[in-house]
Amino acid sequence: MTDEALVTNRNSDTPSTDRTDVFLAITVTALCANLWRFFMAYIECRNLTRTYTKASTTITPLDGLDLDIEEGSFVALMGPSGSGKTTLLNLIAGIDSPTSGSLMMGAVDVGKLSRSKLALWRSVNIGYIFQLYNLVPVLTAYENVELPLLLRNLSAKDRHKKVAAALELVGIDDRHDHFPRQLSGGQEQRVAIARAIVTDPKIIVADEPTGDLDRASAAEILSLLQQINVELGRTLIMVTHDPKTTKYAGRILHLDKGRLLELESSTASAPGIHP
Amino acid sequence: MRLLPFDYAVRNLGRSRTRLVLTIMASALVVLLVLTAAAFVRGMANSLVNKSAGNNVILMAAGSEESLERSQIPGSTAGIVAASLPGIKNRFGVTYVSPEIHAAIIVKDDKEGSRSWHAVVRGFLPEASLVHPRASVIQGRMPKPGKDEIMVGGLAAEMMGVPDSRVAIGQSLWFDNRRWNVVGRFTARGTVLDCEIWVPLTDLQVATKRETVSCLVVTLDDAEFADVDAFTKQRFDLGLTAISETDYYASIMKFYQPVHAMVWTTAFLIGLTGLFGGLNTMYAAFAARVRELGMLQSLGFPRRAIMISIIQESLLTSATGTLIGSMLGMLLLNGRAVKFSMGVFQLVVDYRVLLLGVAAGLIMGVLGAMPPAWRCLRLPIIEALKAS
Ligand SMILES: Nc1ncnc2c1ncn2[C@@H]1O[C@H](COP(=O)(O)OP(=O)(O)OP(=O)(O)O)[C@@H](O)[C@H]1O
Ligand SMILES: [Mg+2]
Repeated sequence: MTDEALVTNRNSDTPSTDRTDVFLAITVTALCANLWRFFMAYIECRNLTRTYTKASTTITPLDGLDLDIEEGSFVALMGPSGSGKTTLLNLIAGIDSPTSGSLMMGAVDVGKLSRSKLALWRSVNIGYIFQLYNLVPVLTAYENVELPLLLRNLSAKDRHKKVAAALELVGIDDRHDHFPRQLSGGQEQRVAIARAIVTDPKIIVADEPTGDLDRASAAEILSLLQQINVELGRTLIMVTHDPKTTKYAGRILHLDKGRLLELESSTASAPGIHP
Repeated sequence: MRLLPFDYAVRNLGRSRTRLVLTIMASALVVLLVLTAAAFVRGMANSLVNKSAGNNVILMAAGSEESLERSQIPGSTAGIVAASLPGIKNRFGVTYVSPEIHAAIIVKDDKEGSRSWHAVVRGFLPEASLVHPRASVIQGRMPKPGKDEIMVGGLAAEMMGVPDSRVAIGQSLWFDNRRWNVVGRFTARGTVLDCEIWVPLTDLQVATKRETVSCLVVTLDDAEFADVDAFTKQRFDLGLTAISETDYYASIMKFYQPVHAMVWTTAFLIGLTGLFGGLNTMYAAFAARVRELGMLQSLGFPRRAIMISIIQESLLTSATGTLIGSMLGMLLLNGRAVKFSMGVFQLVVDYRVLLLGVAAGLIMGVLGAMPPAWRCLRLPIIEALKAS
């Protein structure tokens, strides 16, 4: 049986037997699939696996994980300690590479980029917010925020505009010439957030961004992140331990023993709260 | 490639004053050592090269195996050479032929010889000042023959191991059971002549009980060395052999090659210690910064950019150390007299020596930063970010 016959046979139960219609249908389906892929899932993990091998022991915190994250969403990633949250976040942030599986970010398979290409990709696409801020102690708040812009081809004037805007957004523009040691933890984290958003990255990742802050500062930081997600439309992926923080997120993922459990929307909360 | 701001490198220096001071001192020490070794070798080489006398030829007795102290030729040979060797420099009817005695003798403090020293003496005639233009009387006058007078070179006291005042004008030394008065001081900067005592030729002949001279020093005008060489072979009856002054000192230099090697090795080994000391503080300094370096990489700064910033930082330190080391070197080393068996020479810190020291300091700055920096940078970013 020829391919033509196969196509005809398969479509024999449809009202139309016109061959062009069949091809059109196939083309449209393919197009839709791609469009869906383009619009719906910006981050697409397929069979994502990360193993760490040290000496004779092998640890596999992520084992064949499938996950789609849409552009513009705010995802909270929860789970017990050692469940692989940071591992997943680091893979998405492109500072680590998967052992196997694919990690598509837009049209790019990040897992297959070379070290230098990955560095370039990070500088354009990722803003990373650390639990311990990781500001450079010898640089002022302003200079810390300016740092990622130095990787771009920008004039000093353009850089200034962007840094000023970012500092204003996080509400710390009056402390721009202070060094990190002169700032409170919450203020340091604001500067770190400004540093993460100043390059207008598509994705902002945060690993327990409020883990080192008191409740009031934590709430401020979280609403700031929410604001960045809503007003700037940035995709935000945040690792958190605190179930209360998840109310800011649009989607909550629970990672445990390499298994991913989805909890619906912002009204949902972690299983620990509603047993 | 995008680099980190230079300010970052500069401000990183201020992170630990102790480390800054230590690394600056370590690099200053290494530079100082390199300078010392180079100044030593250069000073020794300088003293053995009679710079002004590129066209001087020494005629000595054939078979004396290039040892001036062993060579004996009749004084009358000087006249024969002056008359029959064409192409010797001549001015106002005086030919540039200087018969000389080179001898190492023991000079005493007084008649009893309660103290005595080894000294290098040169018996000379007035022609000596023609063939050794670098030697000039700087104080007093030339000694007159037959009056037991001598003149003393600028470094002779150093050579004998006495204070310079001991050989000042008006002082006297004893040898051949006679008192010799110092009537003049001369200098021949940068040559072996500077550590000698000059005695009128005939007086030295009497004192050393010889009728011969050691050699003839001849300054050539339009003759070549080959002409002189041919002359000695043609007039083999004179029993002479010719060697250019440059070659003569070069052959002595060769004799000291092992000394140079030893000096360099010592300097190298001590320098290495300084380098490792510096490296150690660098390791500690960068180890404390691993997380920050990981963060910079996570922002997208390539490792090369970070490495360059670290090298800038290290270069700032080592350049400061180099500056200090070089200044110390110029202040402490230049002109310092060093005694060795051939005589006394002065350490020379000239631009070539300085260049070597500066190069060593800067290369050390670059190479010293790389291993500790690399140890931090080769870590995977995720591990670097976990460092405390
Ligand atoms: N570089 C590494 N080498 C070896 N094992 C590692 C490495 N990084 C992480 N692991 C292991 O992988 C597992 C997952 O680690 P990960 O940091 O992703 O956990 P986590 O969910 O972020 O935990 P926590 O909530 O405590 O931060 C852990 O068992 C950890 O020991
Ligand atoms: Mg973690």
